[in-house]
Amino acid sequence: MKISLRWLEEYVDVPTSDPIEVEAVFASLGHEVEGYEVLEVPFSKVVVGRVIEIEKHADADRLRFCRVDLGEDELQEIVCGAWNFEVGDVVPVSVPGAVLAGGLEVGVRAIRGVTSHGMICSAAELGLGEDQAGIMVLDPSTPIGSDFADQVPLPDVVFDVSITPNRPDAMSVVGLAREFAAYYQTEVRMPEAEPATVDRPSAVGVTIEDVIGCPRYVGREVDGVRIGPSPLWMQQRLRASDVRPINNVVDITNYVLLELGQPLHGFDLDKVADEKIIVRRARAGETLTTLDGVERDLDVLDLMICDGESIVAFAGIMGGEQSEVTDATSRVLIEAAHFHPPSVMFSSKRHALRTEASARFERGVDPNLCALAAARAAHLMVELAGGEAFADVKDVYPSIIAPWQVDLEVEEIERILGIPFAAETVAELLVRLGMKVEGSSPLRVTVPTNRPDLTRSVDLIEEVARLYGYDRFPETLRTGPSGGLSNAQKRDRRIREIMVGLGLHEAQTMSFLGQSELDAMNLPDHDPRRAAIRVRKPLREEEAFLRSTLLPNLLKAVQYNVSHGMPDVGLFEVGKAFLAEPDSEDPRIPHQPTHLAFAMVGRSGPGGLHASLRPTDAYTATGVVRALLEALGLRAEIRQVASDGFHPGRSAEVYMGEQLIGVAGELHPAVGRAFGLEGRAPLPSSIWRVWWQTATGGNSRHPAHIRGWSSTWRSSSTSRPRRKVSFDRHRVLQGIGSKKSSCLMSSAEVLWVKARRAWHCV
Amino acid sequence: MESLDQLLIQASARIDEADDLEILASLESELVGKKSFIASTRRGLGRLPSEERPIVGAQVHEVQTRLQQLIDDRRAVLQREAEDRLLEQDRVDVTIEGYEPPVGMHHLLTQTVDEVVDIFTSLGYRVASGPEVELGWYNFDALNTPPTHPSRLESDTLYVEYGDSSDEMLLRTHTSPMQARYMEKHDPPVYVVVPGRTFRADALDATHSPVFFQIEGLAVDEDITFGDLKGTLAHFAREFFGSERKIRLLPHFFPFTEPSAEMHVSCFACDGSGCRVCSGSGWIELMGCGMVDPNVLEAVGYDPQRLSGFAFGMGAERIAMVRHGVNHIKHFYENDLRVLRQFS
Repeated sequence: MKISLRWLEEYVDVPTSDPIEVEAVFASLGHEVEGYEVLEVPFSKVVVGRVIEIEKHADADRLRFCRVDLGEDELQEIVCGAWNFEVGDVVPVSVPGAVLAGGLEVGVRAIRGVTSHGMICSAAELGLGEDQAGIMVLDPSTPIGSDFADQVPLPDVVFDVSITPNRPDAMSVVGLAREFAAYYQTEVRMPEAEPATVDRPSAVGVTIEDVIGCPRYVGREVDGVRIGPSPLWMQQRLRASDVRPINNVVDITNYVLLELGQPLHGFDLDKVADEKIIVRRARAGETLTTLDGVERDLDVLDLMICDGESIVAFAGIMGGEQSEVTDATSRVLIEAAHFHPPSVMFSSKRHALRTEASARFERGVDPNLCALAAARAAHLMVELAGGEAFADVKDVYPSIIAPWQVDLEVEEIERILGIPFAAETVAELLVRLGMKVEGSSPLRVTVPTNRPDLTRSVDLIEEVARLYGYDRFPETLRTGPSGGLSNAQKRDRRIREIMVGLGLHEAQTMSFLGQSELDAMNLPDHDPRRAAIRVRKPLREEEAFLRSTLLPNLLKAVQYNVSHGMPDVGLFEVGKAFLAEPDSEDPRIPHQPTHLAFAMVGRSGPGGLHASLRPTDAYTATGVVRALLEALGLRAEIRQVASDGFHPGRSAEVYMGEQLIGVAGELHPAVGRAFGLEGRAPLPSSIWRVWWQTATGGNSRHPAHIRGWSSTWRSSSTSRPRRKVSFDRHRVLQGIGSKKSSCLMSSAEVLWVKARRAWHCV
Repeated sequence: MESLDQLLIQASARIDEADDLEILASLESELVGKKSFIASTRRGLGRLPSEERPIVGAQVHEVQTRLQQLIDDRRAVLQREAEDRLLEQDRVDVTIEGYEPPVGMHHLLTQTVDEVVDIFTSLGYRVASGPEVELGWYNFDALNTPPTHPSRLESDTLYVEYGDSSDEMLLRTHTSPMQARYMEKHDPPVYVVVPGRTFRADALDATHSPVFFQIEGLAVDEDITFGDLKGTLAHFAREFFGSERKIRLLPHFFPFTEPSAEMHVSCFACDGSGCRVCSGSGWIELMGCGMVDPNVLEAVGYDPQRLSGFAFGMGAERIAMVRHGVNHIKHFYENDLRVLRQFS
């Protein structure tokens, strides 16, 4: 909320006017200042004057020639184009030499042959509002000849304070004044709330049909109000808090809301049928046109204020058009009620209707503030709108919400905060925050009803820490018994390091997929990746599903780079995929395995002057997979399989034992095209299920004993029937090793491949 | 044997003058070869009287040895010079990029997460990850967030369609559900950090993304205090942002901690005097933290009378943005190589 420092100072002495110091106090109390604005008087040399004579300008129909008393011997002669004032009105007059808001300098000017010594000003010209249609007519009691700047509550500083949701009590000027009073160990000056009253009975009747939704309703009648503009100081304060001034009665209800934190509503009592107020839930099919002109279909959970005939207001959120205060209003019913926070919150969210009132009710307003706020509003209406307040207040409050007690063990404070506190110190801190404290062990603390957040001893410990000052606690360090990464986490990191070492860049893509991306993968209907988990209310079409595969978003990232002028791209990602099958550890939630995916396009290999870049193809994909497996010390078999979404003759499945752990190869050209990578085939890609289960304790390997002999190389050839078996380096080694059992075979490489898919080894 | 002395003087001058290896070779054969004066003199030794023989023999030997030495020395010089000439011809410009094996880069986010995690593992913290699709119970209820809390509304939280409707199934809005899951499975003491993806129903703008990374920390033990929270975060700030850094905690509110705080670190760019990085305040807001609410401990069966703890959670994008001056969160998820390559 936005709050003026001058307004705050009306209720509490603030020993500094330096905005940075005030901001620091707010912050140390837990009320973050998001910014502040220093407001200066936007004009100079503007004097209060009384209009003595008005004549028509001889040569211009739309101008008037005025003589104005500025408290000097001679009257000032001024030409004016506005018609909204009469002889005797008190107005702000800028004299020659004045500078107005926006920088306009006022001088002596001849206007159509008549000399004008200054200007009679509008609110807009003075920087005090948007109204530029007419002159600002001032309170007739304003001293003539005085500096008009004295009438404006400026300079001032307006702070934009962010109030945390647990502190509804701080959403008002008086509430923040209480915080400052606690901080500076001083008192709060409460505003006057004792209106002069008339002793007639009020005919207003209040009935609460839903006491859960509305535990209390105060209705207070004020008759004989004269609707007009509210005083300048009030308008200025409302504007500083981003509330638009409307008229004195409406402004007073808004002013008291900001001042005390109790949302009020003013009804035109003559438009309240039977002068009856009924609080109830809406019925199916009912509608209400709220003050913003929107007709709203109501839900049976929405709480309504009704009169004898129909719905008149949305309880705790907004009034209705039909009973609003207008220029013709003379009898006002002030509503000061307490509404159940969740009820207001859900209605406000359901109708996307957030107001100053709903923002407070949904957090919890003090139920015992209603009567005081109604009295304060009545007081201001008597004072500023000439009304007559009724002493007969309708206060329906079936079960009183009383302050409650919380016991606090003083030793508990040290256990949580780390330093010992004396019982007297704790008591003193809590008393400063408006609590009553009795006893010593434990302290019996009575919490006022404006602090719904304080119900347990730990809540009080926080208050002790807050007021004592978080910065006064020492910094101590505790360490755990044994730390580190789990084996799975280590392997995760290792995989990322190997992939980076192989020349690929790590990517982080969104966890969502759209229907079109899923379709673009060319997967058959029975593929489990097709059964992606749906997001209930996605913000965008491309966030409709959770990714069942990392590849589509990775391909989009590749395409992004290609389209931005980088033809050779290699990206990988390690992240969670979401599958529509139960998790093995917690079957209530879906299986969320960690996957590795990589995609490469363009060329790869060493670069530079003597580069040996080659176009990426299926061999690049399987090469990366082999290198990764080798570096991880894992043994897997790459089998030639036409995998869905891949080039049927250039894709492989990777097996550990009989467990499929991944797919590698060139993407099907149709899939490439769907991702905007047409003409760039071959596009090797891989989706990869990392074999986490083997991670426990690391794989125990049995390294062959390397003897002190030097290695020798032999070439050998072997053949296999086409498409029958996969090439397996280890199997080849075993084959050769068994023929020449005297030598210890340790590695094999493919040297060349002869026609008919035979391979030769060294 | 004057002629021998003479020979030595003349020959050494000629050896010095020999300026290539071939000339030196023919000189060698002339001076000490089979047909040389030295060789014939040696052969003639037998004809000398027996008393002269040893004297002349020694002389011949000495001259021969010295000549051979001179020749060998000269050869070494000529060979070195020849090699130097060859090396000069082989010169290449090694400042040109030659043959460069490709090098990839870790994503800035994982770099950041790993660095933070390592700071805490060295303090004896374990690392846990957890499910990203999570039950409402763990994301909210176990964390003292009432059913009426506004963060549970669909305008804030992304729910997913999975399983029967009795369980609220959602994308975790923070890494904090792992607090409850971890404590359910492990006995105290607990010292754990949880890095991972989190989700909100936010449209992408400069500081919001529907997907973002959080790093959660949790310590639950006997007598863990607010001072321990301050000290731990101060240690982290100094390790991550530099040894001169100070921290401050300001009161705040979270449902799952009490007391709660917002942690600020003194600006590393201006050392607290105020600059653009810290918006002139001298402080940078880094994370939310606080003492674990007793209701959270109770929800997992821990005794809040005996145990206490603290928790903190930071956004990995946020701390990376602050540290590197990244100005838009989209840079983390666009995977533009021109951006990623800058963070090696």
